[in-house]
Amino acid sequence: MRRYGFPGLVVAALLAALVTGADGPVGAQSIPRQLRIAIGIDADRLDPAEQTTTTIANIVDYMFETLVDLHPTKQQIVPRLATRWQVSPDGLTYTFTLRRGVRFHDGTPLNAEAVKFSLERLKDPKVAMALRFLVQPVQSVEAVGEDTVRIRLSKVTPTFLSDLSTTQFAIVSPTAVQRAGDRWRSAPVGGGTGPYLFKEWRRGDSILLERNPNYWGKKPLFDEILFRVVPDAGTRLTQVLAGDVHQAMLPPAPDVRGLRRNPQVKVVEAPSDRVIFVALNTQWGPFKDVRVRQAMNYAVNKKAILASVLFDLGTVSESPCPPMMFGYHKVRDGGWPFSPPRAKELLAQAGYRDGFEVNFFTPTGRYIQDFQFAQAIAGQLRNVGVRANVSTMDWPSYVAMIQTPLERTRIQMLVLGWAWPVLDCDGVLYGQFHSSSHPPRGLGPAFYSNPRVDQILDQQRQEPNVERRKALLREAQEIIWNDAPWIWLWSQKWYVVTTRNLEGVLIHPIEKWTALCEPQEPAVGHHCVNWR
Amino acid sequence: MGAYILRRLALAVPTLVGVTVVVFALIRLVPGDPARLALGLQASEEEVQRLRVQLGLDQPLPVQYVRFLGRLLQGDLGRSVVTGEAVAREIAARLPATVQLAVASTLLATAAGMAAGVISATRQYSWVDYLVMTVALFGISLPVFWLGLMLMLLFSVHLRWLPAGGYGTPAHLVLPTVTLAAFSVAIIARMTRSSLLEVLHQDYVRTAWAKGLGAQAVVLRHALKNALIPVVTVIGLQFGGLLGGAILTETVFAWPGMGRLLVGAIVARDYPVVQGAVLVFAALFTLVNLAVDVLYAYVDPRIHYG
Repeated sequence: MRRYGFPGLVVAALLAALVTGADGPVGAQSIPRQLRIAIGIDADRLDPAEQTTTTIANIVDYMFETLVDLHPTKQQIVPRLATRWQVSPDGLTYTFTLRRGVRFHDGTPLNAEAVKFSLERLKDPKVAMALRFLVQPVQSVEAVGEDTVRIRLSKVTPTFLSDLSTTQFAIVSPTAVQRAGDRWRSAPVGGGTGPYLFKEWRRGDSILLERNPNYWGKKPLFDEILFRVVPDAGTRLTQVLAGDVHQAMLPPAPDVRGLRRNPQVKVVEAPSDRVIFVALNTQWGPFKDVRVRQAMNYAVNKKAILASVLFDLGTVSESPCPPMMFGYHKVRDGGWPFSPPRAKELLAQAGYRDGFEVNFFTPTGRYIQDFQFAQAIAGQLRNVGVRANVSTMDWPSYVAMIQTPLERTRIQMLVLGWAWPVLDCDGVLYGQFHSSSHPPRGLGPAFYSNPRVDQILDQQRQEPNVERRKALLREAQEIIWNDAPWIWLWSQKWYVVTTRNLEGVLIHPIEKWTALCEPQEPAVGHHCVNWR
Repeated sequence: MGAYILRRLALAVPTLVGVTVVVFALIRLVPGDPARLALGLQASEEEVQRLRVQLGLDQPLPVQYVRFLGRLLQGDLGRSVVTGEAVAREIAARLPATVQLAVASTLLATAAGMAAGVISATRQYSWVDYLVMTVALFGISLPVFWLGLMLMLLFSVHLRWLPAGGYGTPAHLVLPTVTLAAFSVAIIARMTRSSLLEVLHQDYVRTAWAKGLGAQAVVLRHALKNALIPVVTVIGLQFGGLLGGAILTETVFAWPGMGRLLVGAIVARDYPVVQGAVLVFAALFTLVNLAVDVLYAYVDPRIHYG
């Protein structure tokens, strides 16, 4: 869904317009009745269980709530619809106490039966839940009383509470789901408990939400929120500058520097959990040799590329796992060092004194400046004698290429980004470096295989003790880092541009933003958007 | 005439069946897995495989085609892989926006283009002629997305007269209409000019002048009507093309039309939506072509359909 590329001429003109004194967004003093937010894609579905992108999960989050929440800055699990929970000593039974007096938008009370319905629904094959593996450990859900729910797991799942905080696990009104029938996925009327309720979805154009007058938490600021579907990044920016919308996600990356200096608007940016990397096919030719893979890492100047090609919209990787995830361990301060002489030395040791030729694939417009930084990397590799030929293709073909099994794969090296809905290193490490993640079963195009890493990664999935689990993840990160199945690059940022009046918009590490109050528990501190 | 129209409509059926075969085959020839794309990179292979089976993608292509055709005969275009909605409903939601934009920009382009063409032709090699034809050249050459953004910068950001993209009110229609018409105006103007110039040099026009008719009667009544056939053809082609959606204009102006629906479906390999949208587009195009042919008979009474 991401579109960053933009013809230079237009960008120049836009910047010129900024400089020559367009008077910026309308300085409305009073709080607008309707908050308008420009998003880049239309919704696929509005059912919390069936939506598949963080952008749409964002919208769903205004209407639906989960049992527990992940604090956006503290990275700890905080209460939402559940006020308390207990985990049995064997780690297999979770007992939740629900918040009292909460009603769904259709008036149905939130109770244990509704929670049971919502979670069991996720196992129904008729519900197209992309991340169904998250619900696989759930063996049974039992309504113990009106406001007590007991969930039994079939196996120890250290990430279970984090899993419950993802949008997919939102609690829905059983009566609303049944009444809506086939229409539920496109018009979830009355189905949530959140601060806003569903009003209208005009396909390809907009999604309108209305304030929930009976919301149990802090009253939201705006009467309505309108999400406008604006596919072109330049147009999204133009709409903010014209005062048509108050916030836009992902304006063109090359404009961000100018926008940071523009007093009329605010750029809100924060690191996300999406790691960007060049996967090296560890089962192909020169890359079978770990020295060559390490040389590739020494040859690339990450910091220079971030500054000059990505406009500082990224943070250098210091571990295979991004920093905000559970279990993160910084392996190398400042990232893999940049040292072309060392790269040449390692290449010579491996028998590639004169370098070698390699094909290098990258998508275009999927990640921030992807095609551009791939060319920068190829240029730097050329300095140590590695001749990487950059080519690109459309995203569906790209994914099809990644899904190809080893014997037929064309992959030698390629750009990919990886994020995970749950902030836990398991998502990156298991999903990319466990040998079960080799295509076509998984989507780990490095075809990395290390028996010790497999063993650790399996073990940590069974480990209920937090500290022991951290130690396992730490060891895995050390080994994988030095095995260098990727050129470790950066984790990219997520950014929005807002009018200067809108204050306190917060970016979550999972590529979401919030223009609400949260979390709801005073104990961990309120954070609300405001209008000045 | 009635029999002619009926015969043409009947002939359209094999054309449309041909379109289904081509679209069905083409979209499946390009790499890409609808199930994986719909569920995303994080979904497990088991879930993706389950969706493939649900969508019938595990079946051989001929089986899939026959199933598709069978449903089509019952008026069922299938369901979108991405949204799970009926394809007919997806298209119905987008078609009004597309028709609005297509009609508005065709009307504007026709009025402005023909006026410019007539002015240009009657003052051949004058500065007006050069001016009109130069502007027309720009209209053809300017990239739509650039023109669109420039118009937005001027009228939305600087002057704040019109909204910067979006859909709903007549004000929203203005900039995309102008942007889209710019190209067609140019083509229609050039076509009107050259066709009218040819007619103006014919004997019967000289006769009309000779018998003392006013300029307006000679040019508009006698000459223009006879110069219209190629112009009507061009307008018909432009309009038919616009009914399929104008992807660049729709993208720049966040206009919820068929073009974006179709391109989005191609990028998601949403087979049922691609098939449905192209089929509707082909049907509309056929209808517009038929309308143009019928119009010929009115423009030029010598043309008869029997």
